[in-house]
Amino acid sequence: MEILSLLDVTFFLLTALGALVGIVFGAIPGMTATMAVAVCLPLTYALGLNHGLALLLGLYVGGISGGMVPAVLLNIPGTPSSITTTFDGYPMARRGEGERALKISVVASLVGGLISAAVLFLFAPLLADFSIKFSYIEKFLIILLALTVIASLSHNMLVGIFSGVIGIWLSLIGDYSISDGGNGKTRLIFDFMEPYLFEGFSLLPVLIGIFGISTILLEAEKGVKSDLSDERVKIGKGAGATFSLALFKGRLTNLVRSSFIGTFVGMLPGVGGSAASVLAYTQEKNLARDSSQMGKGAPQGLIASESANNALTGGALIPLLSLGIPGDSTTAVLIGAFTLQGIQVGPLFIPENAETWYVMMAALIFANVVMFFLMFYAIKTIAKVVMVPKHILFPIIVMMCVVGAYAINYGIMFDVWTLLIFGVLGYLIQKVGLEVAPLIIGFILGSQAEVYFVKSLESAGTLTIFFTKSPIAVVLWLLILASVAFSITMSLKNRAKHRHELLG
Amino acid sequence: MESGLSDLLSVSIDFGTSHLFFPTLITWIMAVLFVLVVVTQVVPFLAAVRRGERALPILGESMDSLRFFGTLALIVAYFHLMTVVGDMFPYTGYGFLFVSIPFVFLMSLLYLHEWTRKALVIVTLTAFAAPSLAWLILAKLFQITLP
Repeated sequence: MEILSLLDVTFFLLTALGALVGIVFGAIPGMTATMAVAVCLPLTYALGLNHGLALLLGLYVGGISGGMVPAVLLNIPGTPSSITTTFDGYPMARRGEGERALKISVVASLVGGLISAAVLFLFAPLLADFSIKFSYIEKFLIILLALTVIASLSHNMLVGIFSGVIGIWLSLIGDYSISDGGNGKTRLIFDFMEPYLFEGFSLLPVLIGIFGISTILLEAEKGVKSDLSDERVKIGKGAGATFSLALFKGRLTNLVRSSFIGTFVGMLPGVGGSAASVLAYTQEKNLARDSSQMGKGAPQGLIASESANNALTGGALIPLLSLGIPGDSTTAVLIGAFTLQGIQVGPLFIPENAETWYVMMAALIFANVVMFFLMFYAIKTIAKVVMVPKHILFPIIVMMCVVGAYAINYGIMFDVWTLLIFGVLGYLIQKVGLEVAPLIIGFILGSQAEVYFVKSLESAGTLTIFFTKSPIAVVLWLLILASVAFSITMSLKNRAKHRHELLG
Repeated sequence: MESGLSDLLSVSIDFGTSHLFFPTLITWIMAVLFVLVVVTQVVPFLAAVRRGERALPILGESMDSLRFFGTLALIVAYFHLMTVVGDMFPYTGYGFLFVSIPFVFLMSLLYLHEWTRKALVIVTLTAFAAPSLAWLILAKLFQITLP
């Protein structure tokens, strides 16, 4: 087993460090797992692929898990994906059962994380194997499907598609790269921009700007208020607040179902953890024998929410590693990390990098275990990081963003300015109600979509090729239609419901 | 009729202008979607604003202008000065180090709500410690390029 020789002490230390830093990021409201990964990217420049991935996966798992801490203790979701954790966690904390609520969440998170890792391990190679035979036409349709799915799960499908198309448009700026078979000419820019934008905007500065700088601008606009001025963190044990595994008795179905829901939602590209936990929570509410206590402090709500949002991690890695399409915004940043190490994710990734694949699985599982022990036994200490003041944290984050952007292409100052451009753009996008996730996925996949689309047409000479190429193409079209139909039915249903409520 | 349809769907792309084919298509799609978004979303929204039911984003909301524009100004100054100072000491990362210290200090002060002695001491200490530590670990230990 050569793989064992890759798993040295540094590997485990880095995974553990990643999980710890991730938990801290997740636990601070307004900071997300995506931000943790983006900000810590420069650390991986010097690390090499396996060690870098260990750190990043630790951050990812930790960041998603950490969100439960302020959700339970302060009623503020630390990351968007822990929104449903607040429904039952906070009422429990107010009853003095904060520690119990957190420990239930930790166990649920561990189970969710491990189940999704197992699904990833079994499913990603199969999907990759299947997609290896795809020609440009199927690859283009896959991207089209990915964008349709993201858009159809947005609040408003039209706005979602529009955001995605803006992302594609932004990705086309610069040259039509010769290495992709293009003619090397530039488009969508003026001549004076050419020295800066010949190759377009670099992916990582764009991501770091959108997730790092714009978050800070959004907070600055609100005055960087401390969320916890007179809020005491109530973690103390009330009467009967001890934790025991017996709390999970009869909740196994919920736990497993929510984990699978989380994994599945994670697989859908661009759909974040909030969708996973909300879906799992509502399913538990619909299907549980007794859901009367949900929303008032019922452990079953915590179990559904936390197992689902941690299951997202493994799920989101499936399309990333088998198709090269990120499952959520954090995995989008991970694509950047792979590119940095000169590795192209896609159908060939697993067969060609079997060692890296096993190392990633090891890191993912170990990160979940470390997360469990850190959170389970040191929860009281971790609860205190919620108190780290933002006026200390934010300047340091900006500083780290600069390091990340500057070093990515070995010292290009324009990449640092890209941070600001996309920081402001990200701020505006979120203010006017456009959607960030489709835009980012559009940006990442846009230039590939161009190559697949144009090359398919160049060789076939007719648009019909997209429908007649293969049975798989037909299936993909059916899936695209299904997701559009899904979105339209959902919005009609919502509108009917809304009207019903208005009438009374 | 049959041939008419296949004529309609057949496309030939000239390699010399192939760099414009997809961007033109996307620009058109974007323009059409923009019009649709304006008609279905923005117009009803503006009507709601006029009725006083909704507030305009950014313009119609209360914001902490000092901290928001202060942040923007600080970041612009930070990025700009980093190049200036960095050019004075090429390949050392000093540009990053020397400009980050005042930047972290000023941004912390900007965000600090209650200027107590204890808070100021902590702010000053982190302003020196954090950039120095980052510089030591990244530029010196890991040999990462910094401005």
